[in-house]
Amino acid sequence: MSIRCCLTSLPAALAIAVVALILLILLAAPPATFAAQEDIRLEVSLDRDTIGIAEQAYLQVKVTGTIQNLPDPHLPSLPMFQLYQQGRSMSFQSVNGVMSSSVTHRFALVPSRAGTFPIDDISVVYNNKRYRGNRVELTVVDRSTAAPEEVELQARDNTGQSKDYFLEAVVDNGTPYVNEQITFTLKFYIAVQHFGSPELTEPATTGFWTEVLGNESPYYQTINGRRYKVIERKYALYPTQTGELTIGRALIRVTVASRQSRSRDPFDAFGGFFGRGETVSVSSKPLKVNVQPLPNAGRPADFSGTIGRYSITATADKTEVEVNQPVTVKIEIRGVGNIKAIAEPTIPDLPDFRIYQASVDESINRVKDKLGGTRTFEEVFIPRRPGLLEIPSIEYTYFDPEESRYRRISTKPITINVTRPEGYVESSEIPYGSPGQTLGSDARDIRYIAQDIGDVKPSGQLVLFTPLYLIVNGLPLVVLVGLVIIRRRREKLAADTGLARSRGATRVARKHLARARSLTSPGKAVEFYAEIYRAVTSYIADKLNISPHGLTTTRIAELLAERGADQQTIDQTNDLLNTCDFARFAPASVTDDDIGKSLKAAEMLITRMEGLRFD
Amino acid sequence: MALALTAGACFAQHQDYHETFAAANQFYADKDYARAIEAYREVIARGVESAELYYNLGNASFKHGDLGHAIANYLKARRLAPDNEDIRHNLEFARRFTAVQMQGVRLNPIETFLESIVGPYTLGQLAWLSSLFFVLLVLALIMRWGLGTGGASVGAVAIALVVLVAVSSTLTTYKYRHEYLRQRAVIIAEQSPVFTGPSQKSEIELQGSPGLVVEILAEKDGFYNVQFENQRRGWIDKELVAEV
Repeated sequence: MSIRCCLTSLPAALAIAVVALILLILLAAPPATFAAQEDIRLEVSLDRDTIGIAEQAYLQVKVTGTIQNLPDPHLPSLPMFQLYQQGRSMSFQSVNGVMSSSVTHRFALVPSRAGTFPIDDISVVYNNKRYRGNRVELTVVDRSTAAPEEVELQARDNTGQSKDYFLEAVVDNGTPYVNEQITFTLKFYIAVQHFGSPELTEPATTGFWTEVLGNESPYYQTINGRRYKVIERKYALYPTQTGELTIGRALIRVTVASRQSRSRDPFDAFGGFFGRGETVSVSSKPLKVNVQPLPNAGRPADFSGTIGRYSITATADKTEVEVNQPVTVKIEIRGVGNIKAIAEPTIPDLPDFRIYQASVDESINRVKDKLGGTRTFEEVFIPRRPGLLEIPSIEYTYFDPEESRYRRISTKPITINVTRPEGYVESSEIPYGSPGQTLGSDARDIRYIAQDIGDVKPSGQLVLFTPLYLIVNGLPLVVLVGLVIIRRRREKLAADTGLARSRGATRVARKHLARARSLTSPGKAVEFYAEIYRAVTSYIADKLNISPHGLTTTRIAELLAERGADQQTIDQTNDLLNTCDFARFAPASVTDDDIGKSLKAAEMLITRMEGLRFD
Repeated sequence: MALALTAGACFAQHQDYHETFAAANQFYADKDYARAIEAYREVIARGVESAELYYNLGNASFKHGDLGHAIANYLKARRLAPDNEDIRHNLEFARRFTAVQMQGVRLNPIETFLESIVGPYTLGQLAWLSSLFFVLLVLALIMRWGLGTGGASVGAVAIALVVLVAVSSTLTTYKYRHEYLRQRAVIIAEQSPVFTGPSQKSEIELQGSPGLVVEILAEKDGFYNVQFENQRRGWIDKELVAEV
């Protein structure tokens, strides 16, 4: 039913098919990539390449791969050694999102006889494929008899007793050339138990450029029938001057189990445990090194001053470029010697190129006791013209101290095909070029000059300080300030006139009342009431600082109420003004009594309002 | 002689620099760049400037092989006309020819932001814009405080204008400080050692190269303490740089 449904709706079926396909690809992809990157490497290494016959060496076999279960290595039969498995350790790491794991197998090798033995053919098998490890060599010396005489001599004190400990200093070459590496080795021999690690005061190495090679893992050696533990520390020294140089004394302080206390101490058994003992120090003898100058015979004129043994290569990052596009040429000098002191190769003057030094880089590694590595000089070559241009062979000279002669090495020439970019014009007018810059096709030359001088101004003039700018900004400000000042003054004045009117109000009112009093005869009732009315309204107007014109009885009542007058005052005012109105329109009905009452009421009202404050 | 020329130039009628300018252009067209440079400089010596004048002098210097002066003059031209496409193009083009490219140039994000706003405008344009907002603000205040007219709407407009004035005057100040108060110079000499101190006897910090733009921080004993675009500092002989 559902199948039919799917089949009938074609788009849905298609979608399902696409999803299924994507899922399939996704699921199939990881094994495919794993398979493609499956890579098993075997690294075989020894902790030391020379051991005594009574000692043991440790062999490490490191299997690295991107697969889950790394197979164990197969070791060939090694009849001259007894082999002990010492365990394995595992580690994982992720490089660029690819997980890789490694298993390190450790074996102890105990030799049964002296000689040099190759250890070869260590392999793992995975997916029917065999992966082989590198070859190492182990030299076994019979040191129990082969201890050098001077060491045997050193191992005895003045009375002929064998020493418990001593420090020996040796150099591999007592007559090096200047700047040639010598290896300086400090060997600390100790035949008694010691606590903690020995403390070293480094020797003075004035006149040398010193690189510490580090400590070797300790081993045992038998001298004069006594078994000594030997701790070695090595230095690479480059003499920087000729003549006799001295490597100073090195000093070692170490705590050893003391013989005296050991026999007497009742807690003998804990003596070692608690670290009892005495601290002793022992120093090495200073060593003299006679540094020879480089021979004058056969010294090339272009000698670089570099000492060692090297090879040189030059590689270009591209061999086809447009004119003015940079080509980076990497000149690598690699070999044995003081890498940091390798002088820059001289590049001949090439008219077809502009040359810039871009960078110098070095990597240093150690082969046995000799330091070496690679010094890389990056130079940028910018072709000036199109065509097949050649960067010629670059020659380099150095001094080989092992063979005591100067050597000359050279790079292979590099041919660069310089193409003509689109729109390229032969021009000698462009005076410079630069590294790393792309000159786009629209940018072959500068644009042409302007024909018109344009908007000319006195030089150095800034708009900010022109009078016009200051006026435009200043004038409105002046106007604003002026207007504000004028307005303030007017407002203050207005406030003052209000105060003045309020103060003068009573005086004006009394004047009106006095005039009214002179009009108390009934025949002059209209004038009398007009005067009373004027006295009251003008008083209120002055008191409230409003215009007396157009004030009606109701408006006055409102205003008084608004300005906070009490109800009695309002009522009295109202009554009085209504009486005035009534009398003015019907003067015939006014009696003397009325006039007297009204005058009294007006006087009372004004006196009453005198004591009132209106806000 | 030079003094007399300068003094004379100051009083000379300004109209005849047009002739000198045209003559300079003609020298340029004839590829006589040395005389073109001389003529353009003569116009400048009369106390006038324009973006076109500096641009043409920059072009002539470039064609004459003087990268340092070319870049210095392009920078002066750009300051007067930042939106001029020709100036921008030639400055960019010329700067590609500096033999040493500065490594590790770090841009201040605030400066970059402000520069992206004020970049295409001259100081004058920004100043007038601030001025416009300021005058409008004052007019609004006149309405409100001076005449006592206008209600809440005038107040709102005034507040908006206060913000506009603050922003535009900040930008103007930035432009002024960045392009006029900050002294800049361009290295002109082929051999231009930059020392650790203001003396030829000091150690050489680095080698300058024509066309590199530096900021002048201080001056002492005929030396400028300069800072390169990648923040490296040193002292350089005043004679080896052209001030912008």
